Amino acid sequence: MEKAVVISHLIKNFEVVEKKPGLVGSIKSFVSPTKKTIRALREISLSVDEGELVGFIGPNGAGKTTTLKILSGILYPQSGFVQVLGFTPWDRKPAYLKQISLVMGQKNQLWWDLPAIESFNLNKAIYEIKDSKYNQSLGELVKLLEVEKFLEVPVRRLSLGQRMRMELIAALLHKPKMVFLDEPTIGLDLVAQQKVRDFIVDYNRRHQATILLTSHNMEDLVGIAKRIIIIDQGKILFDGELADIVSQHATDKIIKVTFSKNVNIASLENIGKIKSLRLPQVELVVPRATAAVAASEILQNFPVSDLTIEEESIESIIRDVFKTGVIKKTKLKKTV
Amino acid sequence: MKKFMYYLRVWGIMSKNSFLMVASQKMVFLIFLIGKLIRFGLFAVFLIFLLKGSQSLAGYTVNQIIFFFLTFNLIDIIAQFLFREVYRFRPQIISGSFDLTLARPTNALFRSLMGGADIIDLVTIPPIIFAMVYVGAALNPSIIHVSLFIILLVNGFLIATAFHIAVLALGIITLEIDHTIMIYRDLVNMGRFPVDIYREPLRGILTYLIPVGLMVTVPAKALMGLASARGVILSFGVVAAAVFLSLKFWKLALRKYTSASS
Amino acid sequence: MKKYWSVFKISFVQEFVYKANFIMWRVRNVFQIFIVFFLWDSIFADPGRELFGYNRAQILTYVFGIIVVKAFVLSARAVDVAGEIADGRLTNYLLKPIGYFKYWLTRDLSSKALNFAFATVEVGILYFILRPPLFLQVSPIYVFAFLVAVALAILIFFHLLFITGLVPFWYPEAAWGAQFLFVWVFTEFLSGATFPLDILPIAIQKGLYLTPFPYLVFFPIQVYLGKLGAIEIVKGLGIMAAWIVFLRFTTNWLWHKGLRVYRAEGR
Repeated sequence: MEKAVVISHLIKNFEVVEKKPGLVGSIKSFVSPTKKTIRALREISLSVDEGELVGFIGPNGAGKTTTLKILSGILYPQSGFVQVLGFTPWDRKPAYLKQISLVMGQKNQLWWDLPAIESFNLNKAIYEIKDSKYNQSLGELVKLLEVEKFLEVPVRRLSLGQRMRMELIAALLHKPKMVFLDEPTIGLDLVAQQKVRDFIVDYNRRHQATILLTSHNMEDLVGIAKRIIIIDQGKILFDGELADIVSQHATDKIIKVTFSKNVNIASLENIGKIKSLRLPQVELVVPRATAAVAASEILQNFPVSDLTIEEESIESIIRDVFKTGVIKKTKLKKTV
Repeated sequence: MKKFMYYLRVWGIMSKNSFLMVASQKMVFLIFLIGKLIRFGLFAVFLIFLLKGSQSLAGYTVNQIIFFFLTFNLIDIIAQFLFREVYRFRPQIISGSFDLTLARPTNALFRSLMGGADIIDLVTIPPIIFAMVYVGAALNPSIIHVSLFIILLVNGFLIATAFHIAVLALGIITLEIDHTIMIYRDLVNMGRFPVDIYREPLRGILTYLIPVGLMVTVPAKALMGLASARGVILSFGVVAAAVFLSLKFWKLALRKYTSASS
Repeated sequence: MKKYWSVFKISFVQEFVYKANFIMWRVRNVFQIFIVFFLWDSIFADPGRELFGYNRAQILTYVFGIIVVKAFVLSARAVDVAGEIADGRLTNYLLKPIGYFKYWLTRDLSSKALNFAFATVEVGILYFILRPPLFLQVSPIYVFAFLVAVALAILIFFHLLFITGLVPFWYPEAAWGAQFLFVWVFTEFLSGATFPLDILPIAIQKGLYLTPFPYLVFFPIQVYLGKLGAIEIVKGLGIMAAWIVFLRFTTNWLWHKGLRVYRAEGR
């Protein structure tokens, strides 16, 4: 299978001028500005297969967006090798740009005061889309995203969710082979988020487009991307299947018990670490391997009215990854 | 040729879009149109009364001075009509929308320079041309002088284009500035009068360094039969240099571009 | 009072944050003055010439006067009012225990303080470069009357800006247009900031004096140049005061009407 994206030892630094507070500070930084180098990406390497849907996750400023911007040709890197669809992105060859698309959560390419259809028509000319292909593409996207009613409404009157869906249409009209989505669900309400997510998965399946998606919210990627890349402070902390990270880092399980009578808390501590205590409810953290044994022990020795065994939440696993910075090397097993 | 047609089509659609936008706000359109006409009218009125009192300016007759003024306005307004998008460039950079411009197959300079033609200015072009023909005819130019005038006018317009490209490039490099285009306007405004009224070294600067003189004064002088061969040659040289340098500058700026947010 | 002092300071600092912008704005002022200066310099090339009632020193002093008076009167932050009302940012202020009108007046004064400081330096430099013969007003009464006129002009201009800034209550999309037309275009020419108004025929001048514009720049400079008699000065200052009262009432009336139709719309 062809590689859609190849990144090797990619480095990107930014220079920023520091601003000091206050009047004196402003004058100072005016006279002699202090520059600071921010190392946005520190030797990143990865590759993506054609048709893959990969999720980038990391806190704000981790380097996700920078990566997408380099891949879409907006930023020049300091050093490193990057190839997307066989092109070097920052050459910004029209032949390349016609095959990709970039959507950024809160930035819009639509003409604010005009109906979205006008912006679509402009994109038709910009990407030189043939009439028949345009009509077919537009029809399909409009139907999938359920926006027939809003095509003639000025963009400024649309809700954020409606506008985002229009942005997606504008970005996908030319059937790009490679789609970069930067925080596409940011600011949307839950229903709108779900609509956008479902659409992304569906689009990936229908057109075999390679999609790179960023988010700072893990839940965003569950059920969308099989493969995730966790990035923080310009480094890749994890690159692999979502299931792997859960099995590697979720070494514990959580037992939630509700007691019917008062119990001796001290004796509970022999069984597992108490995570929260809101009597009559107690949450215990126990090693994954002994979870079943621990549960039966509790059921035998305590007056239990309810008991469940749960996985740690994905958010807390990720937080754990960030905190420890532990990168467990995972060889990617690629199955076609 | 195919590329030219492509850009012409894209430009047509973008211009149509910006016309639609203006048309959807008739009041704004009217206010700005009236404002521009009043500004033009008031300046003309002052100029006429001023010349009435002083009889001549730097050795030029009243008609000649008015012709300089009209030439200035023609170049200025055509540039504003075509390059209005430059005035909206800073918000694009600050909000990061410029990223999306870069990620598209249309040339980013073309999009940033010509993406929003201004119909308000288009409306004011024909009356100015009419006035120029009227005033210019009174100066009795020969055919040669008229053709030279038109060629030099195109040169002047190319200098204006180079200025606008440089302003865009500067906008990328120094995010903070939103006045550069206005500085350009102020500088060019010096061309409302023949540069002969300025003292040295300002006159030299306006002729060679910031070639406002070549943009406005030299073409108008050519029509009056007052242009020297040196001025004409200089005009071509400076145009070539200005366009070349501004494009270099734009490329440099683009390389330096780092997005506002990451 | 204390909170407005804070507003004054923070506004002052903010100009420094966008220092490049501020400097550009000052540079623009200088460029604009260049045009006017050389125009008159050229017309009055003959030192003995008298035209429109000015001699060479007086007309060049007029040009320098434009820099100073503009820095005081026409540099104003209150241009942002229209935008804030149009895009709904006004809401932030309505929730705070601060008078919107006073807030902007304070910011205006802060901006003027900074602009004046720069204008003084510019005048110094320009004087050094251009070496014009300047007219120095020695009578303290005239200087005092000039200062009063400038203070009143500041208030007139502030109200004009504020009133046009209220237009977006009714027409949010006209936020820019109204101000462009009614304040900037008219002020640029009719205030005397580009040409002294006495080059116009008397009839037009008389008509102009029925509007507030000549009082912004032209009138104060005339006072400074000593071209007006005592009665004319007192009369002029009286009319200015009357304008301020009238504009004050209009502002209040429009503000309260505007708040009723305010939709707190935002992007």
